[in-house]
Amino acid sequence: MSFKDHKMIKSIVLFFSVMGPGIITASVGNNSAGIATYSLAGAHFGYNLIWCFLPMTIALIIAQEMSARMAVATGKGLADLIRENFGVKITFYLMLIFFITNLICIMAEFSGIAASMEIFHISKYISVPVSAFLVWMLVVKGTYKLMERIFLGLSFLYISYIISGIIAHPNWKIAFNQIIFPQTKLNFESTVMLIGMIGTTITPWMQFYLQSTIVEKRISVDDYGHERLDVVIGCILSTVVAFFIVIACAATLFNSGIRVETVQDAALALNPLAGPYASALFAFGLFNAAIFAVSILPLSTAYCICEGMGWDEGVDKQFEEAPEFFSLYTAMIVIGAGIVLIPKFPLLKVMYLSQVGNGVLLPVIMIFMLSLINNKSVMGEFTNTKMFNMVATLITVVVIILNILMIFFSLLHY
Amino acid sequence: MDRKFFLYFSEILGKAVQDEQGRYLGKINDIAMKMNGEIYPKANSLTVKRGLFKREFAKVAWEDVKEVADDHIKIAADPQKIFFSTECVECEFSLCRDILDQQIVDIYNRKVVRVNDLHLLRADNYLYLAHVDVGIRGLVRRLEWTEIIDWIVKMLAPHSPYLSREDLISWKSAQVLTLGRVKNVLRLDVARQKLTKIPPTELADIMEDLNVFEKKNFFKSLDVNLQRKVFTDLVTSQQAELIEELDEKEVVNLLENIPSDEAADLLSKIPPRKTRQLMKLLETKTSKKLSKLLKFSKNSAGGLMATEYLYLPQTAFVKDAMQKIKENTQHPGNIYYIYLVDEQHRLIGVTTVKNFINCDLEMPLIETKILNNIFVRTDDSIEKVALLLEKYKFNVIPVLNEENILQGVITIDDVMEELISLAWRKYKEKI
Repeated sequence: MSFKDHKMIKSIVLFFSVMGPGIITASVGNNSAGIATYSLAGAHFGYNLIWCFLPMTIALIIAQEMSARMAVATGKGLADLIRENFGVKITFYLMLIFFITNLICIMAEFSGIAASMEIFHISKYISVPVSAFLVWMLVVKGTYKLMERIFLGLSFLYISYIISGIIAHPNWKIAFNQIIFPQTKLNFESTVMLIGMIGTTITPWMQFYLQSTIVEKRISVDDYGHERLDVVIGCILSTVVAFFIVIACAATLFNSGIRVETVQDAALALNPLAGPYASALFAFGLFNAAIFAVSILPLSTAYCICEGMGWDEGVDKQFEEAPEFFSLYTAMIVIGAGIVLIPKFPLLKVMYLSQVGNGVLLPVIMIFMLSLINNKSVMGEFTNTKMFNMVATLITVVVIILNILMIFFSLLHY
Repeated sequence: MDRKFFLYFSEILGKAVQDEQGRYLGKINDIAMKMNGEIYPKANSLTVKRGLFKREFAKVAWEDVKEVADDHIKIAADPQKIFFSTECVECEFSLCRDILDQQIVDIYNRKVVRVNDLHLLRADNYLYLAHVDVGIRGLVRRLEWTEIIDWIVKMLAPHSPYLSREDLISWKSAQVLTLGRVKNVLRLDVARQKLTKIPPTELADIMEDLNVFEKKNFFKSLDVNLQRKVFTDLVTSQQAELIEELDEKEVVNLLENIPSDEAADLLSKIPPRKTRQLMKLLETKTSKKLSKLLKFSKNSAGGLMATEYLYLPQTAFVKDAMQKIKENTQHPGNIYYIYLVDEQHRLIGVTTVKNFINCDLEMPLIETKILNNIFVRTDDSIEKVALLLEKYKFNVIPVLNEENILQGVITIDDVMEELISLAWRKYKEKI
């Protein structure tokens, strides 16, 4: 074997050993709330909003890359860094907002479980408490890593959207036209939808989660190149899937003028592929996405908050050793699942609104990240380049403008 | 005026700085401390901040501080002589930047904690850093919710431990981890002495809770002897991580001080490029030993063995053996076994302290040798080594090459470590 081949094989092996955090984080990004939001975007706006996937992918890569770089350069989580550089007050209030937003996200994921199981005629009063209990047990039993792998494996179900999107014969001409010459009219609905889509693609908790997992995996500065590749691949994979969800919904639901009110409606997007089994396939994918997110979100939120506040954390500890950690974790699951059980709870709406909440919190987190990553005493030689800063700032500014627009339109609206 | 001796840093942080006429100059932004070998660091200078959008900082020497009141600090310096600039004030060690909100090692309770507040001792308008607060009350105080939370807790549970409990750690037992930013080594004094009283295994456990950079700083604050002990107690992956972070000089120093089998293990885990660099720097004697060991496969006797052992010529007497042991009490390897060799370093016999300690000093050492002449070859498997050690109830077994020349020794610890990790791997594969 020539030297060059040898080097390449070594490089590939290294990549697989480092791979994981970026791809896992990005796949959890496509959680059930994400599927709901993308379905609504495709069903109600057709091809009108698909242009935003290109800038969104770039924004996602930039945000995730910064998190990964911070993890490698400092060996600390994002909450740690915010606490050490901005003090306890800012950290506390940020963590409070973070907690509430993530709680709504968890609620949305439990809604996803309820909605998907209702397609199989299983009442939410059974499905939600049972899954909540199972997820809670994961932490106690410590089989979390194994489950993570199973869920990740099942994420390949998303491919069904890609296939469905292709065989539904979408109007590619209109689609490409929309990508190159976006013609979205900015009004209340489209702005809220845009923020929702950004919020579900680039979630604040993903930044925290990615950074913590890379720190935990102890990826060194030398392996950073491979980690960056992992992040980029993960980001592209997840946005490609999201893109096809929108396309599939646009080609089926939007064309037949169906307003999506329930999850059953959204499942129709898989008709071209699965025909009569579309709703079963959709339900299964949705359930997997929801339970994947429900098992990661409360855990990573509790970790982050404890990290920032300086409380003991860790699933391998006893309750007495880390009371705050276990209380937070349990509270999030109990409240999240409990609220969903309220009769006549608008499942799909909450799933969608939680992503808007993420979209609002995102620029705040981005500002903190930008401030940290440009601090030489924190990052050393790993600070942002000028070009990188310009793009990242532009993204933050655009999201802020969209948020202001949304508030402005909602004032006009009511 | 009745004043508390102690005050919390959060109580004065951000409070007004006035001149002697009571005119407002700015806010207290930070306090720089002097570390001069005293147990409690003393306030050295005050950083004053003013301006909301255009922030400016000024440094005031503590000699000019006239009064430390509960809600303001009075300074005597002429306001015209205080120079504000947009640059941050440089100092070697300050409360806000280096301790508040950072992680420290609580040496007393032996764990890593985050600092919520600082407890300062006030004496004659001087401030000393006495304790760090790591408790929930400190957290609430920083958030300025003390009154309302206290009121609620009193209503709900008047006897709650929250109301009276203070989680203060004496500065004496706090080990700072942010040395990277402060450059010079801070706690040469007290903390180091404290650290030596903690068993190295526990220090190694503490280190596992730290991230790479903190690990490095913490490790550097230990003295060489302790470094060696702590290092041997770390898991190999953590050792390799640490090695990559340390300077070459420090690594070399360390490698020369730990048993050669562990050093070789370690070198095999770090990138070859770095290994070669280090080998160049190591003393030739050590590097020769190590490069020999690196050639053996990891699971063979040659890969497991250490090249530190005590040996004497076959003609030696008991008194020579006694002398050898006395000279080598600091020896990193086993000192209870002595190997007798001929001119070609071929193994002739093995003796142990147990066999000769009660013998006449003038007696030839060879007469005390162990009867069973057991040994392994460099390419024997770890299983064979384990079997022999178990069968003859030995703690150490010699390793010979094909010409019977003594190459090194394997201790039961080394074998156990390998076997346990082997068993662990198998166990993990099962689940």
